[in-house]
Amino acid sequence: MSDPLIASQKSAAAGLFAQSARMRVVSENIANASSTGKTPGSDPYQRKTISFDSVMDDNAGVDLVQVDQIARDETPFETQYLPGNPAADDKGMVKMPNVNMLVELADMREASRSYTANTQVIKQVRELVSMTIDLMRPS
Amino acid sequence: MQPLQLFDLAFRQNEWLAQRQSVISENVANANTPGYKAKDVESFEDVMRRSVSMATTNPEHLTAPDDGTIPENESDPDKAEVLVSGNDVSLAQEFLKSNEVMQNYSMNTQILKTFSNMLLSVTKG
Repeated sequence: MSDPLIASQKSAAAGLFAQSARMRVVSENIANASSTGKTPGSDPYQRKTISFDSVMDDNAGVDLVQVDQIARDETPFETQYLPGNPAADDKGMVKMPNVNMLVELADMREASRSYTANTQVIKQVRELVSMTIDLMRPS
Repeated sequence: MQPLQLFDLAFRQNEWLAQRQSVISENVANANTPGYKAKDVESFEDVMRRSVSMATTNPEHLTAPDDGTIPENESDPDKAEVLVSGNDVSLAQEFLKSNEVMQNYSMNTQILKTFSNMLLSVTKG
């Protein structure tokens, strides 16, 4: 088993990676919040969801976190009356993406909070390591 | 000459603290993982009592008390509520523990430093 402090750096780094993947998904959703289809009656952008899974790292001996899967949100689309839109069907209704801005923003907030928590862990571990190294410093 | 127990003890606790820190970072990294349950390590006192017992040269000697120490395992009473996803990591709780680790670690390194300075001043004369 490797050094526990190095292992903590590793799991915190995995956390950073997972949270940034989540941030990416959120930004994709927000960017495509009004991406409708191109042909009449076609489906618009379907919201993406991300889920995490904890996975044991045999080298480090700690539970790392990794992106489990990026799936599509199956919530039904809402329709809006936009006759001029290329995706409008014969009644002039257009399917809008199932992105809820409020949910995305809340998700983004949580992702950034968790990201900060992981950077905090890295900082703290770095300080622990430097304390140990400082033992060798002649005083 | 007596073996220098202090160095050994301090390093042992630092090892334990590092282990605890790694468990804390696991918890923080998995703060958004569905179904993940927060973990903690066994308290140092427990580990100590099992691995090192105080030498008794006389049956009248008292052994280290079995309790009397504050139970480190505060996981149950003020545990954050379990989320819908089955995750029960509380970031506040984790950082509280992390802070504790930091304090003890820095205390240990300070003690080691002071002790090695004492040794040095004796050997240098």
